[in-house]
Amino acid sequence: MMTSFTRGVGGGVIDGVVKLGVGARLFALLLAQSGLAFRRVGLTIGQIHFIGNYSLIIIVVSGLFVGFVLGLQGYNTLQRYGSEQALGLLVALSLVRELGPVITALLFAGRAGTSITAEIGLMKAGEQLAAMDMMAVSPIARVLAPRFWAGVISMPLLAAMFSTVGVFGGYLVGVGLIGVDDGAFWSQMQNGVDWREDVGNGIVKSIVFGVAVTFIAVFEGYDCQATPEGVSRATTRTVVSSSLAVLGLDFILTALMFS
Amino acid sequence: MHFRTWTLPVPMVSVEQEFVALQSVSFGYPTLTGAPGRLILDGVNLSLRKGSLVALMGGSGSGKTTILRMLGGQIKPQSGSVRVGGLDVPSLKHQALFALRRRMGMLFQFGALFTDMSVFDNVAFPLHEHTRLSDAAIRDLVLLKLHAVGLRGAAALLPSEISGGMARRVALARAIALDPELIMYDEPFAGLDPISLGVTANLIRRLNDALGATSIIVTHDVEESLAVVDYVYFLAEGKIVAQGTPDQIRASELPYVRQFVSGAPDGPVRFHYPAADYAADLGLGAGPGASQP
Repeated sequence: MMTSFTRGVGGGVIDGVVKLGVGARLFALLLAQSGLAFRRVGLTIGQIHFIGNYSLIIIVVSGLFVGFVLGLQGYNTLQRYGSEQALGLLVALSLVRELGPVITALLFAGRAGTSITAEIGLMKAGEQLAAMDMMAVSPIARVLAPRFWAGVISMPLLAAMFSTVGVFGGYLVGVGLIGVDDGAFWSQMQNGVDWREDVGNGIVKSIVFGVAVTFIAVFEGYDCQATPEGVSRATTRTVVSSSLAVLGLDFILTALMFS
Repeated sequence: MHFRTWTLPVPMVSVEQEFVALQSVSFGYPTLTGAPGRLILDGVNLSLRKGSLVALMGGSGSGKTTILRMLGGQIKPQSGSVRVGGLDVPSLKHQALFALRRRMGMLFQFGALFTDMSVFDNVAFPLHEHTRLSDAAIRDLVLLKLHAVGLRGAAALLPSEISGGMARRVALARAIALDPELIMYDEPFAGLDPISLGVTANLIRRLNDALGATSIIVTHDVEESLAVVDYVYFLAEGKIVAQGTPDQIRASELPYVRQFVSGAPDGPVRFHYPAADYAADLGLGAGPGASQP
């Protein structure tokens, strides 16, 4: 009983450390073999179209509704202190600093991360990656790197889209529905949001999330067991690990940036 | 489009010399703790003359595919030497290995076509990746290769729209796109209907002779292979147990070869996986494991 428990813990730790090492090695290889993704930029652009463009609808709709809710909740709280004029500022700061990058990354993990993992996993299961390797074409350079860089490039663009639509949603509810003053809404926002401090840090966050989520997605696909269950487990792991990574990284980045 | 030139010393190999040679090769997949696992290959010696077509036969799990993966440098032997075209494969660095692989073509068991590309693009893939040819030249080459396997008319179809036998032939066209010197076939006959089977077997022979290539077929389809190959190696439990020309194999008296060629269910290769005594397992009689209430 005791020994099997110890063995279980030890085995888990060893597996975890091995996987971490395999992941770190793949990350180094991915960076080293990224040349092709930029030399033949069409490969990367195709993937931006596939994983970025097709994530647009869910990002825009979510952004709009998050903006609606921020407008309602923000007004509710601010009017207690008689400062409902600051609604525009509150909506914009919440979005560009926090909600834009984080929710975009979580949605991206579910929408694009899973499809990247499943696609690479199924290519592996169908021996397509092995076939490519035997044709002297590195799957890391040809398959993984374009997807990885497409994700890294798409994420900040999607987050910007999310925040923009969210601000518009807050405007619709705050000004259109509740009747906050139009001029105050925009001028407070314009004065209070700092380009580098708020917007810049938000962009940095979304780039970091883009690296984390997309790398986890390509890694889980590349590392999965080449069976139907293996691919399904890898897809689940992509969502779970990348969501946790985003939340953990967000805390660390916020502490570093805004303290 | 990009182009790479890799220079590596290519030793002189005369026509009479062997193109592929394995010498006392042993291999076992290592366990997580680093201890060597069960041996999959145990002291295998094998040699292919340039221009020959050789079959590697044996039951499932006898280590046949492992040998192909070793020739392609995807795995390394624990001991012994693996030489292809005069080069020591396990010691090659990444670039030299990729340069060697450009001289090889491999047909995977189920074709391994890229499912997101058309038949045409699949065959064009190695040409796009490795040459600086114009699109017009690539188009001509692809149609040439597809014509050789009888599928020029299917160029626009997707892999999901063609049958398994056709997919195998498309994969064959892709494998020979760069006119390889060594072609490896992993179970090219598995799951094919009798017509496709005969077509594929003849195609393998014809391509080998037309390209002046050296070919190795991993298979357990005895009759089809014996009809086209020059030489046969029999592999059982990681060892070469018999070898010879097709006529010698047909006439062989070795029990293992006899069982394999005749397809008898029981012989040196047992039908039953090792197990405890049957009666005892069922709790009948007085077997050692029987327990009476």
